Amino acid sequence: MSDATASGGEAWAARPEPISLSTRSLPPWARLGILFGLLSAASIALFGPIGVSGTYPRFIGMFWRAADPSGAANQSYLVKMGAFLTPESMLVVGLLIGGFLASRIGRASGTRAPALEVIHANETTHGRRYLNAFAGGVLILFGARLAGGCTSGHIISGMTQLSLSGMVFGAGVFATGIATAKLFKRGY
Amino acid sequence: MTLLFGLLIGVGMGALIQRAGASSPGMIARSLRLENLTIIKFMALTIAVGTVATYTLALFIPMHFDIKPLYLAGVLAGGLIFGVGFAVAGYCPGTCVVGAAEGRRDALFALFGGVVGALAYTLVYPALKTTLLSRGDFGKVTLASSLGIPGLIGALALAAVLIAIIWYIPTVVRPESPRGVPKA
Repeated sequence: MSDATASGGEAWAARPEPISLSTRSLPPWARLGILFGLLSAASIALFGPIGVSGTYPRFIGMFWRAADPSGAANQSYLVKMGAFLTPESMLVVGLLIGGFLASRIGRASGTRAPALEVIHANETTHGRRYLNAFAGGVLILFGARLAGGCTSGHIISGMTQLSLSGMVFGAGVFATGIATAKLFKRGY
Repeated sequence: MTLLFGLLIGVGMGALIQRAGASSPGMIARSLRLENLTIIKFMALTIAVGTVATYTLALFIPMHFDIKPLYLAGVLAGGLIFGVGFAVAGYCPGTCVVGAAEGRRDALFALFGGVVGALAYTLVYPALKTTLLSRGDFGKVTLASSLGIPGLIGALALAAVLIAIIWYIPTVVRPESPRGVPKA
C-alpha cells in the first residue's frame, strides 16, 4: 500500500514550492496553469469554452438512439443534449489521447500505468477503492448535469468568462468537497 | 473544422491535466483535505490567465462566449452533490477520462459511474424541469454584466484576487507524514 501511494502520487507533490518570479523558475503547476489558461482562451476563440460533462448524456443518447430510436426520442434530456458528434465530444476523445501521450512520453518509468492510489481509510481492498470511484462517479455526473456543467465547463470555463453560475457552482463544490474529504479518514 | 479544433484542444488539455497531477485521485483528496493545494493553485492560475487572455482577445476578434445560465437552486444543488462525489471518487468528469487513458483502473470505475449518473439524470430530468430547474433563474449573468463594467475590467479584478490568493496561501499546508506513522 505504501508503494502504491509513493508511486501513484506525483513525485514533486510533497515538495514546498514558493513562487519566485525573480529566479525565473516557476514551479511546474504554475507553468502548466499558464498554458492551460491560454488553451482555454484559445478554445473560446476557436469554437467555444472547454467542457466535458455534456458528453456523457450525448454518449448515452448515441447508443440509446441506435438501440431504440423511438424510446430515445421520448427522453427529453437526450433530445435537448443533441447528437454526439460535437467539438466537445471530440475534446473528450482528445483528453484520452493527450492523457495517454503525456503519461508515456518523456517518462523514465516508461510504459507502466500508475499504481492504484488508496485515498480514503475505508479503501482497505482494491474493490472498495473501485466502489468509491464508481459511487463518486455517479454523483459527479448527476450533480454536473443538474448544474449544467462540471469542473471544466462551470469552474474553469465559467469563471474564465466571469459567469456567476460558475462561481456559485464552484462555491458549492468546494463546500461539500472539503467537508466530505475531511469526514473520511486518510488512506495514504 | 471545429471538430478538429475540439480534438486538438482536448489533446492539450489531457496532457496538461496529466502533467499537473490532477488525474491522480490522491492529489484531489489532498487538495480537498487542504493538505496540498497544488491542484487548487493550478486551477486558480488557469482561470486568472484564461479570463484576462479571453477578454483581451475579445477586444480584437469575435469570441465564442457561452455563458451558462444561473438557475440558482439547480446550480447550487448540483455543485453540492458534485462536491461529495468529487471527494469520494477523487475524480471529476474530465480527470477520470485522463486517468483511464493513463491506465488507472479506478478511473474506469469513475467513468462507468459517470455514465450511470448521467443516465439517472436523464430519467429524472422531466420531473426536475418543472420544479428545481425553474426556481430562481437569473439567466446568463456575468460578474461584468451584473456590475455594469467592461469585461476586461472584471477579468483583471478576478485575476488580481486569484493571484493574490495563490501568492499568499502555501502550496503544501501539511507535509506528507512518514509512512506507517498513524495520524492523529
